Amino acid sequence: MINVTDLTKTFGKNQVLKGISTAVEKGEVVAVIGPSGSGKSTFLRCMNMLETPTSGTITIDGIAITDPKTDIARVRQRIGMVFQHFHLFPHMTVIDNITFAPTQVKGMPIEEARAKAKELLARVGLSDKADSYPSRLSGGQKQRVAIARSLAMEPDIMLFDEPTSALDPEMVKEVLNVIRGLADSGMTMLIVTHEMKFAREAADTIYFLDDGKLVERTKPEQFFTKPQSERAARFLEQVL
Amino acid sequence: MNRKKLNYLYVSLIAFVVLFLVIGQAFPTGKTDSRTVSAESASIAAPAEPKKKLVMGTSPDYPPYESVDAKNNGEIIGMDIDIAKYITGQLGYELEIASMDFNGLIAALQTGRVDFVMSAMSATDERRQNVDFSDFYYAARNTIVSKKSAPLETLESLAGKLVGTQLGSTQDIFAETIEGAQLKKLNKIPDLIQELNSGRIDAAIVEDAVAVEMTNANADLAMHFLPADLEENGYAIAFPKNSRLVDSFNGVLADMQESGKLDEIARKWFPEQEEPADRLLNLNIDFSVLKGYIPYILKGVYVTLLFTLVSALFGLVWGTVLSLFKISGIKPLEWFATAYTSVFRGTPLLVQLTLIYYATPQLLGFDIPALMAAGLAFGLNSAAYLSETIRGGIMAVDKGQREAAIALGVPYRKMMVRIIFPQALRTILPALVNECVALLKESSLVSVIGVTELMRRADVVRASTFRAFEALLLVAAIYYVLVLILTSFARMLERRLRRSD
Repeated sequence: MINVTDLTKTFGKNQVLKGISTAVEKGEVVAVIGPSGSGKSTFLRCMNMLETPTSGTITIDGIAITDPKTDIARVRQRIGMVFQHFHLFPHMTVIDNITFAPTQVKGMPIEEARAKAKELLARVGLSDKADSYPSRLSGGQKQRVAIARSLAMEPDIMLFDEPTSALDPEMVKEVLNVIRGLADSGMTMLIVTHEMKFAREAADTIYFLDDGKLVERTKPEQFFTKPQSERAARFLEQVL
Repeated sequence: MNRKKLNYLYVSLIAFVVLFLVIGQAFPTGKTDSRTVSAESASIAAPAEPKKKLVMGTSPDYPPYESVDAKNNGEIIGMDIDIAKYITGQLGYELEIASMDFNGLIAALQTGRVDFVMSAMSATDERRQNVDFSDFYYAARNTIVSKKSAPLETLESLAGKLVGTQLGSTQDIFAETIEGAQLKKLNKIPDLIQELNSGRIDAAIVEDAVAVEMTNANADLAMHFLPADLEENGYAIAFPKNSRLVDSFNGVLADMQESGKLDEIARKWFPEQEEPADRLLNLNIDFSVLKGYIPYILKGVYVTLLFTLVSALFGLVWGTVLSLFKISGIKPLEWFATAYTSVFRGTPLLVQLTLIYYATPQLLGFDIPALMAAGLAFGLNSAAYLSETIRGGIMAVDKGQREAAIALGVPYRKMMVRIIFPQALRTILPALVNECVALLKESSLVSVIGVTELMRRADVVRASTFRAFEALLLVAAIYYVLVLILTSFARMLERRLRRSD
């Protein structure tokens, strides 16, 4: 579904991604892990062109999104993204946050969008918060709304950029449960995370990035029990 | 000059022309506009079309020659007007009157804004260099006005004294010849009265009719006529150089002299015995003099508010566009916006206003109505300030908001309008309110090009009542109330925007 070929990204003099090639199957759940500064987030942000790669190609269902001629806004409608710091629109209520993109971008009728938004809120367990403003919600609740907001566009792919890193520990679980439910439903997902336990349980594939390179790409069981590279072994030693 | 600078010039020039054209489309031009706004604001016939109409320029703050009949619809009346009506009637023209500041009359003739000027204007040599004059139709006497408590009666007694005159008036030039007198030139007759009353000048030199009104309205002032001199103080009608109208006007004037029509009109406006005004002995401020003028002044509120609204909206829209230029990342647009801001912030608003009003007809052949010139100047100026404010507001919105919108596939314009601007607005609202308050108060500046907003109306009433303070205090109070209403309205808006916190 996603094909990445020889992807590099340079910020000024600093090369963050040093040639990454990989393929993600439809319905595959990928957990991207690695030490900080390894290029995990940049890699993820290239998947919807929030960062423009310096070289290399990315195709999604055969569409080369790295081609400047591609209507990237259309492709982005099919790719949901959840940020570490939620980025809910603070001047809109929860339900307006969720219905904004479907009505404004896809031209969905407002009644239909609201009905769908209520369904999604029920799914993330926040039916009673539809008319609250984001400032009244806890971090975990905000992140669940952000997930619902992305799902409202009915994406084929979901990207998560450290979705639980900004949360108080007691709220991590409620967010991970929602993501796990999503994984079980067959959504194609890339998740940058530090939650090793979650990665092991929920992911189909582990990407281990270090110093801008995709060092390991293996099944979770194998990665967490028998890492192939010395760097992965050292990383696991530190975090587990 | 290097190439970069030339680029600047090009881009700004093109943008200016486009702007003028756009605004020209957006406003109804000429007559219709000035009529709807007020009977006094300038309206001009296009110079090219075959005209049955003559436009006369006058500065209606000089009764009994010309003044605004503030108690009756604000029509312009006076001796000059009656004479002009008679002459144009005899010649088969329709008369249209354009009101403007006395200092702008010659410029208006030169730029073709008006066909002739009657404004108790004497035919001085200096003026003759720029315009043509008709024969004299009236001669006034120079008069010394001083405090009753310290009367000054002769020219000799003025030696070593501080003498006030109206800038650009004949008496102003006459006063230059008084030996030993120190001169202080002021813009308006009411200013002279104020300076006399407060003792800042020892005497004022004005002409007879004015002196009569001044002493009538201010009981502690005394006047002393100086001998009349037709050559020096004869009033004449001014025309553009080489105007074909001069001869025909002179013909009618000669007839009027012969038939006694001229004397008849003069008698109407200079009655033998001046009616004594209300006695207001020792009272410096008495608001009863404003009786009858209040509705006229209050109508200025509408003009002031309309003007403020138009220029604020224009400034906001154009300022937003400029701020987007500044963050666009497209170099020529950034240069243009930066150069624009620098020029409009770096030159006085009054200069911009005067330039736009007087230069537009000459540069573009478009007779810009006064209110539109004012709206344009203020809008362009405030856009320069607002573009910086708005840019700051946009930059202050969390970068993540933009990324979230992009990731959802929201197009740029919708993202700016629905996501970024509403959040920027919250941050910059206090600054926007400040700008609106400033615009509202600075709108008083546009009185110089004759827009009849509050300040202009106060000036007109001060001229009519020959009282310095009352009208000023009244409009000051009105401005203050308007600002209070504006700020409380802004507070409500702010509360609404803060709902989501």
